[in-house]
Amino acid sequence: MAEVITTPAGALIHQVEEYNVEAEPYYLPIGDEIELFETAYAQRIPVLLKGPTGAGKTRFVEHMAWRLGHTRGEQRKPLITVACHEDLTASDLVGRYLLDTDGTKWVDGPLTRAVKVGAICYLDEVVEARKDTTVLIHPLTDYRRLLPVEKLGQVIESADGFLLVISYNPGYQSALKDLKHSTRQRFISIEFDYPPKDQEAEIIAHESGVDKQTATDLAKLGEKVRNLREHGLSEGVSTRLLIYAARLIHNGIPPRRACQVGVTWSLTDDQEVQRSIEEVVTSIFE
Amino acid sequence: MTVVGDLLARNQERLSGFPAPLYQNFEAGLRALAPRLSPSQLQTWTETGVELTALSLRSWEAAVEYFKAGTDMPANMTWETLETLGRESIQMATESAPLSVSFLRSAPAAVAALGPGHLRQWADLGRRLYKGNWKSSSLASQFYDIGPQLFPVLRLQQVSRLVLFIDELARHSYELSSACLAQAPVVMTRLDDDDRLPFIAFAVELAQSSWADSRLYFERGAALLHKVHAPMRERYLLLSAQVARGHNRSAFQYYEDAAIALGELEPDDHHRVIELAEQLSPYSSFAAMDFITSVPRVLYRIRIDELEPWQRAGLRILQQSHDGGEAYFRLQSTRGEDILDTLSARVELAKVGEILRLYCKALTGRNLSIQTTASLTEKGIGWVDQGRASTEGTTVFLPEVMERYTEKDENFAAIKVFATHQAARLEFGSFEFRFGTAPAVFEDSRAALISGQQSSAVTDIERFFDLFPDRQLASDLFTVVEDGRIDAAIRREYGGIRKPLKRMQKAALEHRPDIRRMPLRTAFVENLVRASLDGASAILFPTNRQDEMAQGLGLLNAVDVDGALVEDSAEATLRLYRLAMSIPNVFENDDDIEWDSVEPMEGMDRSMMDASGELGGGQSGEMQPGDVGQGEEQYASPDDVDYRGDFKPELVQLLMKLRENAQGGDAGEMSPTPLTEEQLKELLEKSMDFDLDALMEGDLDSTTGMFMTNLMKEAGTPSSEKSDKQGDPTSDNSTGEGEGDEPLIPIITVYYYDEWDFRAQDYKPRWCAVKEQKLEQGEDNFYENTLREHAGLVAQTRKQFELMKPELFRKIKRLPEGEDFDLDSAIEWMIEKRAGVNPNEKIYWRRNKIERDVAVAFLIDMSASTDEEINKKEKKYDDDDYGDDPRKYLSWWVSKRRQELTAPPKRIIDLEKESTVLLMTALETIGDQYGIYGFSGYGRDNVEFFVIKDFDEHLDSAIKQRLDKIVPIRSTRMGPAIRHATYKLRMTDAKVKILVLLSDGRPQDHGYGRDRTEKEYAIHDTKQALNEAKREGITPFALPVDRAGHDYLKTMCEDMGYEVVADIEALPSRLPTLYRRLTE
Repeated sequence: MAEVITTPAGALIHQVEEYNVEAEPYYLPIGDEIELFETAYAQRIPVLLKGPTGAGKTRFVEHMAWRLGHTRGEQRKPLITVACHEDLTASDLVGRYLLDTDGTKWVDGPLTRAVKVGAICYLDEVVEARKDTTVLIHPLTDYRRLLPVEKLGQVIESADGFLLVISYNPGYQSALKDLKHSTRQRFISIEFDYPPKDQEAEIIAHESGVDKQTATDLAKLGEKVRNLREHGLSEGVSTRLLIYAARLIHNGIPPRRACQVGVTWSLTDDQEVQRSIEEVVTSIFE
Repeated sequence: MTVVGDLLARNQERLSGFPAPLYQNFEAGLRALAPRLSPSQLQTWTETGVELTALSLRSWEAAVEYFKAGTDMPANMTWETLETLGRESIQMATESAPLSVSFLRSAPAAVAALGPGHLRQWADLGRRLYKGNWKSSSLASQFYDIGPQLFPVLRLQQVSRLVLFIDELARHSYELSSACLAQAPVVMTRLDDDDRLPFIAFAVELAQSSWADSRLYFERGAALLHKVHAPMRERYLLLSAQVARGHNRSAFQYYEDAAIALGELEPDDHHRVIELAEQLSPYSSFAAMDFITSVPRVLYRIRIDELEPWQRAGLRILQQSHDGGEAYFRLQSTRGEDILDTLSARVELAKVGEILRLYCKALTGRNLSIQTTASLTEKGIGWVDQGRASTEGTTVFLPEVMERYTEKDENFAAIKVFATHQAARLEFGSFEFRFGTAPAVFEDSRAALISGQQSSAVTDIERFFDLFPDRQLASDLFTVVEDGRIDAAIRREYGGIRKPLKRMQKAALEHRPDIRRMPLRTAFVENLVRASLDGASAILFPTNRQDEMAQGLGLLNAVDVDGALVEDSAEATLRLYRLAMSIPNVFENDDDIEWDSVEPMEGMDRSMMDASGELGGGQSGEMQPGDVGQGEEQYASPDDVDYRGDFKPELVQLLMKLRENAQGGDAGEMSPTPLTEEQLKELLEKSMDFDLDALMEGDLDSTTGMFMTNLMKEAGTPSSEKSDKQGDPTSDNSTGEGEGDEPLIPIITVYYYDEWDFRAQDYKPRWCAVKEQKLEQGEDNFYENTLREHAGLVAQTRKQFELMKPELFRKIKRLPEGEDFDLDSAIEWMIEKRAGVNPNEKIYWRRNKIERDVAVAFLIDMSASTDEEINKKEKKYDDDDYGDDPRKYLSWWVSKRRQELTAPPKRIIDLEKESTVLLMTALETIGDQYGIYGFSGYGRDNVEFFVIKDFDEHLDSAIKQRLDKIVPIRSTRMGPAIRHATYKLRMTDAKVKILVLLSDGRPQDHGYGRDRTEKEYAIHDTKQALNEAKREGITPFALPVDRAGHDYLKTMCEDMGYEVVADIEALPSRLPTLYRRLTE
């Protein structure tokens, strides 16, 4: 099944499982982020996406991968996404030996694959990963653009199209989970926040198919609930959740109920806060 | 010779040895009786008298009365009566002559009142009280003496019950029974005839169980009984008697409380209440009485017809457990609270305040607090209308209860409409009025009006109102327009609240006064109010003036569009004012003129939209605010709309300005310099004089003065945005007066906690008030000294704890995936594979990070009992050292003294403190979050909770200084302290939470148990508090520092860790092990 191909850069590698972005992922730009990203990519400057959960970071990267693939004349721009978790180690990213019928076999990790094919490698929630991953990130994000593969005794020079993009949520910032400055200062940072009400309504309407009024109401709900941030709620309601609620509404669930299961209950377990959010919901929706 | 003469002669000699009155009375009696008796009867009568005389030394006195009775005998007397009288007197006199005297003296009256047949019974009653001693004799005499007063009031049967009571009471105290007897005629007169017997019946029970209360009962009982509806009194007394029968010392208390409670109810409801109480009585007579006592408080929350379900729920509990049911009806049970809550349709602000606070915060994006309307008027900062919702910019004030509807949901919806309106004022900028901001709908005409004018106004809105000669009218118009704009915005933005809002508007419309009775200008404003309430159909105006009204309504509608600003309301006000002034404030007396409905004028033409020109009449200076034009009526403000509450833009803007000034911020565009007192005073007077006129007489000066001081204070205290850190619904902040960094009076925050009553198996709701405050600071050398004194231990502890650190990473083998092969597993895998066995795939290893995410709260017992020395008992072993040699003893004593002077004996509290210091250094090493708290207090209302170090504080000199002030204070109410520490821990986001209790292990407080010596209650509550902590995922750990503590702690810590610290030396070696065990 594994097929050996030659990449445009000339490296001999195994076929990567590519993330193939066929249709244009919907993304409504709020500011100049598209232009920024394109320029950064052209200059091969690594990008850090900052912002709360569900604000559209991942969607933005997907959109950019598609956009770069289509506007730059390239057939496509592979995007390799790694969701980082607290047990994610360097070898999870680089690769490892696996046992085979005849002994051991080296398997590239996602980062190695991205480096080889010249893909965009997107490390989601990078602060969650183990500190040893920084060993990999650092040489890749400066002028060297190198990936050391310790166990093989190799160093891979990245393919030209490669770019490292990481994301991080300052919301759960704690002393333990902050990004080190030596890491942080290797990226340009694009800040994401929940979109303003009108744009958010547009996004909700587009993603779910609800009518404009409902979308506006949901966006209003989002705005109001976000006022409760730091007060009973550690995170405001994400655009993603609002879209889910909108989809429920669009498919026949009564709005109040849809907001209850889609927003209120997903946000918090605190009964009092739940009740307060519910009151906001009942004020907005009939 | 007549029979009389014969008898007189015969007996003169026999009676001559006695004082003269004897014979005189004999003669008088004989002559009086002669016509009514036969000679033989007279003979017998005389003989009896003489016999009486001779009976004993003082029996002649009785004989005097005997003869006198002959004279006084009423007409219904028969010979039998006289005979009985004689027999009884002789019998009585043989026992006690004075008794006989009293009996005989009252006998004629008794016969008259009771009828001749009952004399004997009456005599017996008195005799019953006589026990052969002088005290009882005097009591019995008193009984006979009082007879004439009693007879008009009591029937014999009632008297006999009274005697039963007096007799019973006499067994305990003759003084008391004599006092009660003396009061009896008065008391009985006060009672209705039907009540007397049951009243005495209860008295009898009372005399048996709590006789000391009898006097109180006699003094106050009758008046109390009158509070009870007459037909129910007997049943009420029966209920009371049952309590007394339970040998309860406080039966009278129960009687009194319940009677007072009944007095608060409608007499017609007494029947139902007492019937329900009677159903409880077979299970517990106390519960029955407590039920009655609680009814008024319960009815405050539920309707009378919901009383029965409430009682039935309690009855079920009562059937299972007496204590539980009694607590329920005493309203000291959480279950009871819950049931009340479910039954009650009322919505209490205290219960929903937190929900509404977050709701308003969500709507406005500001940190608002929610308070009752009463607290706003209490502040005395210019709001004088009791009970009206309002906001002053940082707080939303709402009614304390909402009970307009019969369903809870509806009431909540109502209070939510109230809250939404206030929040919307903030959200849609009612207080943001600025001259510089251009209106969105109208053309700006304000700029022209103020051009070239100088103004001393402090705020923009004040300056705006200054434009109008009739400030009250302008203010009313602005309020209507702005409230209309706010309501419109709410309808537009919040579709879900439209329905309840509409309902409130409809209700408000229904209560508007009759418009045809108003003078025209007042009616004009009233119509605007109606229109703003969406009540087009309720608008009426004389047909000859429809135009003005239509224009007015059109103006009002103009702000009902998306995007209209408060400045638009102001512009509308300007135009409406001019319209209003063109309408004379007179009554429309012409009967030919109809009042008809008015359609608002649509599509305002430019002339309406433009409002240049003068504001009517005022510019000439002839018309002063409040002045009434020729032949016109005084203008009166329209009635309030309840859900909109009080709107005071001037004061709010002023407060905002003052707050800015106080916080040294930008002074705003209107006045770059700080406000002078004159300015402030002027503004207050302008903005409030019409309020004050309506509400209080007395001089404006002193009132505004008071408001001014309060306003300054209000502005000086930081807004809720800053102080509102806790966000706890049950806390209220009482801030000290002092300004600057360290308030002179410490800031005390009060929290309320339930307490566990193990007898009732239920919580007493909001039973304990925990008062949290920072411990004051002392010297900081205690901390340093302890470190120096135990330098070795400190180093040792630190080292032990540092050893815990490297464990942060741990290599885990035999995983399905990992960093690399685990060589052993990999070889096994190969072997198994070669051997044809299915190999185990888990051949990797990886290092797993173990994050330390720990929060520890230390709770230090600061009760008086920690003042004890620790080694008191152990010192005895020294005793033998000196043997019998006094010199040896002296030298031993001197050395001991010296030792004590240099190092005073260690008390429990010292050990607690030192342990804390050691723990602190250890925790600083390891980097875990920790808080240190002390507690003491007296009584449930005063549990003191001292913060030595809060979780978010860092170890600095202030905290070291606070450590010094840990001293034994008062009692130990552990439960609430543990609950509060649990709350503190809950607020941290650590994964592992530990509560360490440093104590001498003896919970004890006033009212913490039935009496001071009972430990069960306190221990159960403490244990329950520890269990609650466990349920929250907190590991409680008790570290008693006294060996004697074992007994209690075993009960409290059945299944949780505890370890006695007998000696500080043991701490360093024990602590790390302990700590590791707890945190892993």
